Amino acid sequence: MKRTALGTAVAAWSLLALGLGSMAAAAASPFEDGVKALAAGDAQGALRQMEAAVAGEPENVRYVSEYRQAVIKTGSYDRAIDFFEKLVKDHPESANAWLNYGYAYVDKIPAAGAITQVILANNALTRFSRSIEIKPTWLALYTRGNSYLYWPKIFGRAPLGVADLERALAMSKNEPKRVYHVHAYVALGDAYVKTDQPEKARAIWQEGAGAKLFPDEPQLKARLARQGEELESYINDQLDPNKRVDTNLREVWEAR
Amino acid sequence: MAVAAGWLLLLAPLPSFGPASAAPAAASPSAAAAAASPPAAAAAAPAGASPPATTAATAARAEKGIGPIRFEEIGAKAGARLLHHTRRFSGKHADVLAMFTSGGAAVAVGDYDNDGFDDLFVTDSESGRGNHLLHNNGDMTFTEVTEKAGVAKGNDPGTIVSDALWFDYDNDGREDLLVARFGTPLLYHNEGNGKFRDVTAASGLNKFANTIAVIAFDYDNDGYLDLLFGNYFKPVNLFDLKDPHVLPNNLDQADNGGGVTLWRNMGNGTFVDVTEKAGLGRHTGWTLDVGHGDFNNDGWQDIYLADDYGTDRLFLNNGNGTFREVTEEAIGFDTKKGMNVDVADYDRDGWLDIYVTNITDEYMKECNMLWHNNGVDAAGRLTFTDLSRETGTCSTLWGWAAKWADFDNDGWVDLVAADGLRSAGPKNYIPVLLEMIITPGIDFTDVNSWPDIGDMSWSGFQRKKLFRNLGSQAFKEMAHEAGVDNDLDGRGIGVADFDNDGRLDYVQTNANQPSLLYRNVTSPVGNWIELKLVGTRSNRDAIGARVTAKAGGALLIREVDGGNGYSSQSSKRVHIGLGTAAKIDSLEIRWPSGLREQVTVPINRISYVKEGSGVVEKAEALRPLPPAGPGTEKERGAPSP
Repeated sequence: MKRTALGTAVAAWSLLALGLGSMAAAAASPFEDGVKALAAGDAQGALRQMEAAVAGEPENVRYVSEYRQAVIKTGSYDRAIDFFEKLVKDHPESANAWLNYGYAYVDKIPAAGAITQVILANNALTRFSRSIEIKPTWLALYTRGNSYLYWPKIFGRAPLGVADLERALAMSKNEPKRVYHVHAYVALGDAYVKTDQPEKARAIWQEGAGAKLFPDEPQLKARLARQGEELESYINDQLDPNKRVDTNLREVWEAR
Repeated sequence: MAVAAGWLLLLAPLPSFGPASAAPAAASPSAAAAAASPPAAAAAAPAGASPPATTAATAARAEKGIGPIRFEEIGAKAGARLLHHTRRFSGKHADVLAMFTSGGAAVAVGDYDNDGFDDLFVTDSESGRGNHLLHNNGDMTFTEVTEKAGVAKGNDPGTIVSDALWFDYDNDGREDLLVARFGTPLLYHNEGNGKFRDVTAASGLNKFANTIAVIAFDYDNDGYLDLLFGNYFKPVNLFDLKDPHVLPNNLDQADNGGGVTLWRNMGNGTFVDVTEKAGLGRHTGWTLDVGHGDFNNDGWQDIYLADDYGTDRLFLNNGNGTFREVTEEAIGFDTKKGMNVDVADYDRDGWLDIYVTNITDEYMKECNMLWHNNGVDAAGRLTFTDLSRETGTCSTLWGWAAKWADFDNDGWVDLVAADGLRSAGPKNYIPVLLEMIITPGIDFTDVNSWPDIGDMSWSGFQRKKLFRNLGSQAFKEMAHEAGVDNDLDGRGIGVADFDNDGRLDYVQTNANQPSLLYRNVTSPVGNWIELKLVGTRSNRDAIGARVTAKAGGALLIREVDGGNGYSSQSSKRVHIGLGTAAKIDSLEIRWPSGLREQVTVPINRISYVKEGSGVVEKAEALRPLPPAGPGTEKERGAPSP
């Protein structure tokens, strides 16, 4: 599994997932219509339906995430950004809406020029921060912490990433184990490397790869197998802003 | 602040121009010894018929006895080290405007006195400071003759010299000189006695533009060289800004730049602006460089425009005085910071490829573009594929000029690249700039939005790059081993065989810093030929002529270019490395007039070829003509290549 931004398995989301099951049975929701329209190649219709669904349930992780995946498929990045701008105006206290507003900027990054990428990344960070202000979840902290790592070292964002990721990791230890928690171990190690703390990086990856956690995780193995310049180069390659970051939150509901 | 850096440079010892560390210096034989040194492979077996695989190519080079590429920097010794000064501005926006105009360190190579040795014209940019004409003495030394020639001027309080170009606009057999400026250009007629006459007023080249690049080529194949100017800012007077909104309106897709202007040479000493008529008027990018070549092998010169802050453009020549844009289908729309256009068939497949430098640094990973020419498909579509990553030529940091040249005569063109924007104090400008860039609602076009750079560095102290072509789509970066990895703020690269020894040397100009002259001391090298082409029906400089050589099973094509590459013009003499091939199986010249001519020339010699007359003696080739040109426009007509 590639590094991915994941949803936390908070109880509320579990409930939402249960709700999704009953909605699927109903089959007449705007969301399901949107999915069908997308499958039928009606991109504009799909986005319209999905936007209606998201506007109705801005805290629905699946709706919002699937909507963004449809946006990526159709390249409608600016439309999505405009949509989320309106969504957070209508739902200013929706942490999920703010978080996905940030993701909407992240999703556009690979399609943008080098300097626009910086502007988009910064816009994403401010939206992630607002989401954390409203509700500091594992997902939001992991997401923002991970985002800082994509910034070139010269901009000094990596220490901020360390702080967020340490919080996310600590939070995960107080929650039931979820498969996606591994990403905080991976990212925190990367953050340590980016802040010239390779020993701490190795320690956190080793902890993550422990028998009770994620012993088979390839991302941890790949890092533990490398050292020095080779490791740095590997991590820099993983954090290349020109490569699309997987912002699909599917793992959140699949993990249950 | 650029001035401050300049003062520091003058006060401090000059930086080292050799290898970055204490690597052994390359052997530096005297000019005479070098000239006498025979190519190692002259008697060796011909090379294989097809391009070898990368490893095989490397191994084959060792077997052939071609030595590793080596240069020695001899600028000071040769009398060719010239300190460039960037333009200072006064007033509120001084710092930002100085930053945006910090080019201007250009070099143009041309044999202005027809003595068979390429001379140098090197520019300065500070107000009141003169440009330099250096006469090549033939022994790898140069004598400054600027004053006698009368070509120093150009840097006035309201104009900045930015580029220069040798071209014979009136076909009289003498190289004339064009000086491009942020302002109106200057055109000097070569009087033939070491003196030049300013003929700008009579030429009609009177349109103000913030020009940063210029090339000469015959876009309509009428026998006279036309001019294409690449303009950076839109045509505003930067010294008297009425409106501060003159900077790029988008840092990845700007469309408020100066575009290009195409001037048709009317054959009577005048030029007419045909930009709109030719179909180039809609281009409004921040053009940093322009390049030409026959990309689709139809006999007409096409053009590539490298744009800063956004999309490069490719235009194909319709053969009727107009161009059609094929950017979308041929290369797609990019968002990079195009800096350079140079053209060569690096993989010997018979199609001209293009190298464009961009910015690849710790804070911006654009990658250069090595546009591999895929040729024209069955539907008539010309396409290119960027192979910079695959070939290992992706990064030249903050790139400027990059030039193709076969430095070891192994039959594969290598690539040398200048880089580095501004080397000053220890503080880095990038984090400061970042704060501006991420300010919500910031207006990039407003000069007032941009923070002063002061004494900060910005992509400074960067090591130059030299990519050795290993054949079969692979290059090896070896600037350090070759002794050319200086860390100056490079701009232009002018390549020429200055001592006529069959090995290509080059000049590197640097912004606010001294120029460098790298003498090629690679030994032994492969076999070679050099051809000085003289047009008769075609333009006298033979710009646009294509040479196709077949030797040792390899297909080697070259075109005479009229100033490709950022801030620099290389020699118009065609140089072809032959590797171990001891003879040329066939050699054809396709002149811009459409005439195809087969010639036979000896290897390891400079030969002179006159259109329609084949190989001629040097004296005949270089003898100036009366300025009658190849006939009236009506008589010349347009050929069908």
